Amino acid sequence: MHSRVDRARWAVELTLRGIALAALAVLLWRAIRPPAPATDAVVQGNLDAVLERWTSTPPASGHVVFDGAPDPQTRDWVRAIAKAGTGIRWSPTRPIAPSAVVAEPAADPYGATRVRYASGAQEPVALSDDAGVIDSLPAGGAAEVELGAVSGVVRARGSTFVAATAPTDSATLRPVLVLAEAGWEAKFTIAALEESGWRVAARLSVAPNVDVTQGELGPIDTARYSAVVALDSIASTAGGAIARYARTGGGVVLAGTAVRAAALGSIAPGGVGRRVPGVAGAVVSDRPRTGLGAFTVASLRTDAVPLEARGEATVAAARRVEAGRVVQVGYDETWRWRMSGGDEAVRAHRDWWSRVVASVAYTPIVPRRATLETVSDEVPLASLYDALGAPTQWDRASVTPPDSSRMTSILFAIVVGSLLLEWVSRRLRGAR
Amino acid sequence: MSEFVFATAQYESGDWDSAPLVPANLIDSVARYTKLRVAPTGVIVSLASEDVFRFPLLFLTGHLPVRFTEAERTNVKRYADRGGMLFVDDHNHDIDGAFHKTAVEELARTVGPLAQLPNTHTLYSSFFRFPDGPPNTSHELNGWGDNLVHTHLLAAMRGDRIAVLYSNKDYSSEWGYHPDNKRFLSVDNTKFGVNVIVYALTR
Repeated sequence: MHSRVDRARWAVELTLRGIALAALAVLLWRAIRPPAPATDAVVQGNLDAVLERWTSTPPASGHVVFDGAPDPQTRDWVRAIAKAGTGIRWSPTRPIAPSAVVAEPAADPYGATRVRYASGAQEPVALSDDAGVIDSLPAGGAAEVELGAVSGVVRARGSTFVAATAPTDSATLRPVLVLAEAGWEAKFTIAALEESGWRVAARLSVAPNVDVTQGELGPIDTARYSAVVALDSIASTAGGAIARYARTGGGVVLAGTAVRAAALGSIAPGGVGRRVPGVAGAVVSDRPRTGLGAFTVASLRTDAVPLEARGEATVAAARRVEAGRVVQVGYDETWRWRMSGGDEAVRAHRDWWSRVVASVAYTPIVPRRATLETVSDEVPLASLYDALGAPTQWDRASVTPPDSSRMTSILFAIVVGSLLLEWVSRRLRGAR
Repeated sequence: MSEFVFATAQYESGDWDSAPLVPANLIDSVARYTKLRVAPTGVIVSLASEDVFRFPLLFLTGHLPVRFTEAERTNVKRYADRGGMLFVDDHNHDIDGAFHKTAVEELARTVGPLAQLPNTHTLYSSFFRFPDGPPNTSHELNGWGDNLVHTHLLAAMRGDRIAVLYSNKDYSSEWGYHPDNKRFLSVDNTKFGVNVIVYALTR
């Protein structure tokens, strides 16, 4: 007859055996089950080591924490791991400001580069290239600078991003064709463009069937000219060709009364309005063009953009015409600016004409070499969203994983401990 | 669009108004041979005034010594630098004459030294063709003045553009007659004047 103590010990031994068997069963299940999904968490600083581990042993999911917008290599690495099946989430330790930088060849005969850069959230941004700092925006925002030369990679750097671009494109500039009656406006417009570095071809009408020409003249098409400047109604003789040229991508500047030619009216931003006189003496002021007489742009088309106004009237406007661009400027005596203006008048007149032509010029861009794309990261935050999606809330506790090997040890200890206790109990009561 | 206005430079020294018939004669020729819009009468503009910059081609002539005032000198230099063209003719047709010596010296001081203009320059083909360079004047052929036929004009350049054109061929005398009298000439001797004007308007 078993005492109550023996029965209790027997029950404990049975329980211990059950525990041992259960632990063994768990160990067995852990051994033969499919790999359990694991979650890993990292912060920036040990990313490379973690990414290497994730590359060789991909976890089921992971959470990456960035101090700022990651560099393109890191971003692409994380994206590759995500594409391989790991559920990647990310979050920033602080808000990452949106940013952008782009460098494009300007339509400038001397090969200038136009750099546009921006940052949001009032974050200061500094623009630099390999040679040093170029410009900065202390309170964020956007700006554009035109640089004669750029050394290496252009970077827009803030506290949470580095946007970079490689300005290796180049624009192909062809000559500018000037069509006009011989006169001071034609002479000084050609001079201004040539002094700005443009190659100029010209046909200036002097007498019936007599033109003064310069440069290579040929059919008006984008293979030959980057822009056509028509200074007066003499351009009507080539009006159809100029309109076709604009529609196929060419840039056209219509000055003075050139728009009166019927074919050119179809591509112009507006019609020719009344002539407004210049303000006496203003040509030597800080707004010299107000000292010039100009034809207003009348009946502005709905798709035209006013560029310059004299009081209520528009004196310069632009519009796109299929693949090309057309600017209409009402000025017909800009030469007076150059001759009678202040000390800077020659340069200012030259720069103005160069900018007008550059704004419409057909400039096919030679694409950059693919190998140089790797240094470009023009929109870091947008690229991060594109690669990994929107950020998620980061809770370190929720993503810290249990250690798999530790759990195995615990289970093993439970098995051994249970069996040992059962064996001791059995031996103490004399059972085998 | 501006019409072409023939402007004669008035300067302090010398006799700037020694060839009063030249402007009308050249205006007549421009109107006769081209379709350029040209003002029917010329203007006289003080070389020391800001008005010179309203006329990118200036004609300057005389017989007497030329000494620019400081204001004239400043204006001429600025005028040349900005793209204007000063056409200077020695009314003496005399290489040792007072006008020639002083004008060349004054221009050299103001805009830089004058050099011979090649007879193949576009000036000689800008409208009419003068394959031999500047046409000779009757005064040269008659042996008047220095008894020389000047084969070249002189010029001060800005880049490849003529800023100052200097002649001692005495076109002031050659062109100094009423335009109606062209009908008595077998060849219009003002044609080279048209070339100067067309060159100034196009280059």
